[in-house]
Amino acid sequence: MNGEIIAFCCEHSAYAAADVVGKQGLHYPEKLRVIRVPCAGRVDIIHMLKALEEGAAAVLVLGCEDGLCQHLTGNVRAKERVKYSETLLTEVGIDGGRVGMFNLAANAPHKFIKIINEVNDRIKERERENDSR
Amino acid sequence: MPVRMGIFLCDCGGSLKNIDFPKVRENLENLEDIAFVDITHNLCLEEGEKAITSRILTENINRVVIAACSPEFRERNFGELLEKLRLNPGLLSLANIREQCSWAHEGDVTRKALELIMMAVGKARLLQPVERKEVAVNNEVLVVGGGFCGMKSSLELSQLGIRTTLVEREPTLGGKLKKLEGFYSSQIEAMIKAIEKAENIEILTSAEVTGVEGKIGDFKVRMRGTKEILRSFGAIVFATGYKTEVAAGDFPLKPGVNIISQERLVQLLQAPTLEARPETIGFIFDLSDENPRFPTLATLNNALAVKQRWGSEVYVFCKNVKVDSEGVEKLYREAREDGVMFLKFDKNPKISADDGRVKIDAEDTLLGEEIVLTCDLVVAEEKLLPAEGTEGLSSLLKIRTDSQGFYQEENVHLYPVSSERKGIFFVGNCRGDLDLGRVLADISSVVAKVYELLPPGKVIVEAERVKADPQKCVACLTCIRVCPHRAVQLVQVDSEKVVAEISQLACDKCGICAAICPAKAIKFEGYSDDQILAQIEAIGVS
Amino acid sequence: MKAERSIVVIGGGIAGITSALELANSGFTVYLVEKEARIGGQAASFCCKATEVCTKCSACLLPQKLSEVASYPQISILTNSMVVGVKGELGNFQVEVCQKPQYISPQKCIACGMCTEVCPTMPKAIQSPPPEAVPYSYSINESQCLRLKGKKCNLCREICPTNAIVFGQKPERQELNNIGAIIVAIGFDVFNAREIGYLGYGRYPNVLTGFDLERIFRNQGSLKLSSNGKEPKKVAFIQCVGSRDENHGYCSQVCCKYAMRLARLIKHQKPDAEVTIFYIDLQTAGKGFAEFYKECQGNIRFIRGVPVEISEAPSDEVEVKFENITEGKVDRENFDFVTLSVGIAPRKDSWELAKVLGINLGDDGFFDIKEPFNSTETNVEGIFLAGACQSPKDIPDSIAHGISAAERAMEVLKRCQ
Repeated sequence: MNGEIIAFCCEHSAYAAADVVGKQGLHYPEKLRVIRVPCAGRVDIIHMLKALEEGAAAVLVLGCEDGLCQHLTGNVRAKERVKYSETLLTEVGIDGGRVGMFNLAANAPHKFIKIINEVNDRIKERERENDSR
Repeated sequence: MPVRMGIFLCDCGGSLKNIDFPKVRENLENLEDIAFVDITHNLCLEEGEKAITSRILTENINRVVIAACSPEFRERNFGELLEKLRLNPGLLSLANIREQCSWAHEGDVTRKALELIMMAVGKARLLQPVERKEVAVNNEVLVVGGGFCGMKSSLELSQLGIRTTLVEREPTLGGKLKKLEGFYSSQIEAMIKAIEKAENIEILTSAEVTGVEGKIGDFKVRMRGTKEILRSFGAIVFATGYKTEVAAGDFPLKPGVNIISQERLVQLLQAPTLEARPETIGFIFDLSDENPRFPTLATLNNALAVKQRWGSEVYVFCKNVKVDSEGVEKLYREAREDGVMFLKFDKNPKISADDGRVKIDAEDTLLGEEIVLTCDLVVAEEKLLPAEGTEGLSSLLKIRTDSQGFYQEENVHLYPVSSERKGIFFVGNCRGDLDLGRVLADISSVVAKVYELLPPGKVIVEAERVKADPQKCVACLTCIRVCPHRAVQLVQVDSEKVVAEISQLACDKCGICAAICPAKAIKFEGYSDDQILAQIEAIGVS
Repeated sequence: MKAERSIVVIGGGIAGITSALELANSGFTVYLVEKEARIGGQAASFCCKATEVCTKCSACLLPQKLSEVASYPQISILTNSMVVGVKGELGNFQVEVCQKPQYISPQKCIACGMCTEVCPTMPKAIQSPPPEAVPYSYSINESQCLRLKGKKCNLCREICPTNAIVFGQKPERQELNNIGAIIVAIGFDVFNAREIGYLGYGRYPNVLTGFDLERIFRNQGSLKLSSNGKEPKKVAFIQCVGSRDENHGYCSQVCCKYAMRLARLIKHQKPDAEVTIFYIDLQTAGKGFAEFYKECQGNIRFIRGVPVEISEAPSDEVEVKFENITEGKVDRENFDFVTLSVGIAPRKDSWELAKVLGINLGDDGFFDIKEPFNSTETNVEGIFLAGACQSPKDIPDSIAHGISAAERAMEVLKRCQ
């Protein structure tokens, strides 16, 4: 990998929203790679860390809004795992901001784009900071 | 058997111009285990189906990758096509090169398209077939609660040919509404007769549910009546109702002779004789904004009954008239036409005793004046609350309740009547503040859902979509505790070992267990750890 | 046995789709007849109103159900179609369906978009479907299309890779036989706020309805004034527009809830915006809604009042003159955006369908039910009602009613076997 953004997308919310974005002809950075999962709660810490190890610039977990998860606790567990990954990364000296959890619904394509663009902006800023050192 | 993969690339009628399909094909054909890479134009149409069919029938492949539009619509259709061609649909892997690739970016996206397809190829290599099998299920239903809701549910289930057991903790059926004259009590009498006559409804009175184990199709229920009962049911419908409490906290005076509940008022209205007819009656409700439908309906109905039976002066004090149920606006207008006076307040009125009567001091927001009214009788607001025993029962069932303690978590996916445990349902006011129209919709909904999940005969399930490997499982119970659908049980595999077993009928395929298992013993076919890691590893390798 | 296993559902909104899915899951074949070019109904244009938590509006349940309905082989979706005749009886109806010319066949259109690229008109006569559309196929705007206006043009037809475009089509009739039961789920009309002239809908660009606001959030993600492209600073919601009045003797049940959710969303996106809700009786019933209302009271102004006039004010604002009931006086305030919380009205074309099916309309113009407390059966045996076409309902209640109607249909059919 070379600086891609990996997004684990829950099929009920984020994956559906991403499809709507495409249908509306709206664009987002090409470096996004989506991995479809049945629930954000399927995503494990090893998946996130592996993606970073392979060279991803950022790893995102996109699940349903708080209180909307069809499996009740999937999005909550995912958030806990993302937080834990953040602390692990910080402990070994890697920017914990390279993993993140976001929530949206299937009928919120704008939120999908906002999230990807914000993550991309942060990546570019980090690159600029690294370059200037 | 070595993997032999067929890849179909759809260029959507030639419109996905920012993908260089021949280049993609060239890259894929070089791979070892690829039997063919076809570029087609309309995989979603008949000609596409024909193209897939002829290839699969002539080539000997055991994995299929399709790169086309979103799997949201296509997954099921392509899966069914494969099944027709004697290939297990679990061996299909999809890549979304349209909505999430060609349409989502400016400029050439050939590299991304190739990567998405390589992700699907990496996953496909590791896919295993998932067989379907028939399972026999118990399709008998337990209905808990012998009031209006429980009885009507039992009757409707029985009419669809479903054997039902109705359990009620009181010695007789009927519930609260039995005491109401008129429409309700006559309905209830008729229902009791019909239930007693019905051949496929069993009645258990003076009995309570004390334990529920198992899963849909096989719930083992313990009940205690005159003796301990252990029975098995396919589904359980809870119609345990509600209780009302006079909103004591908001009333400075205790309920007594002159401050009464709606129930007490109904008793007085139904009494054949009345000592002293109250001249002035005040109703107060909507002091809090919680559960307003029930007190609104009770107030409107009873206010009208008072007018008709006693002809007293009737005043209703409320903050907002809650009319969001069918027919209530009309009832409200009827009450006003009949002379019931409605006074709206923004600040809660002051209530005090006045020489054996009750004084209400309120600021009428419409008139903008202070109104002081002395009533012979005040009917106090009643809060609708979960029935006695709801908390205990919900922890027994390991089911979440909402913020007020009523059954059913506030999650829109569960509405109207489901719970997070497949096969356990809640109907009526035990799940919140409903009106009769909504209660009736609940009842028919639950009957439809039971019939859908437990049809007569056998049920077809995927045999091992999510499975705990008995060799690796150490019975730590994590998955059992974590499964939001309570689909995992411990089973004995031999004289020494117990392992976790995931019920395919109850499993809702979220994968939370697979992620959390410390021994990595749970394999979720289609989303296993290797299958996910293979997708990650395929990115950037092009 | 096979004769009774087909059901016609008229109307492809949330209730109709729910009935169709319920029936299909229980082994029935379903014909979903939809008047418009796509199913989804009103809820297809609703937005997600989550702030930091889901606000339970249930709008996102529709996309999930749409994918299911589109991929079930037992459900046939007939769009641009209406039921024009019915013969027979419970267990064996013959339903005549008329399909208006589509020009682009949804069965053949793969939505590649090449037709729109070559279309010579401006704005394009061939339009891409809204993203939530099912079927997801292109359509031709008859008033723009050169060919349909009699001129020579074949550009789209020539480039279409699947020959999905056919001009010269005539309305097509087909008869669906051996239909066991019919479920009517045609939904509602949004109350036309123009009927209340003094509220200024259609006159002022910054006075819109709740349904307009849903669409704006759905398509654009945030509320920006058309006049200056900025987010509004002072927003008003007016409740009971077209409900609980002389012509509508009912509460529409959805408006107070959607207004509060939209108000919260506006506050969430622009915390320093001032949001006011004018109401008569606030409807706060429903699971968990009392808590939500308490939270709303924290940063939204609730005024018990009735606006009597909306007039122009400087800087594209509007002045709302209203009777402040709590304070007992008439007040005036300026707002830069006003939302009219319009209600649910019976569809104007329901009388046509009522005539075809032989079912009755009730006093309020919604379809009448057979007897009190049996809200899914009509006066005709075998014809059922689902959703808001029977009486105003929100999405969760429409889903429940849709399942109920399916259950009733299955039960009645079983009894007549």
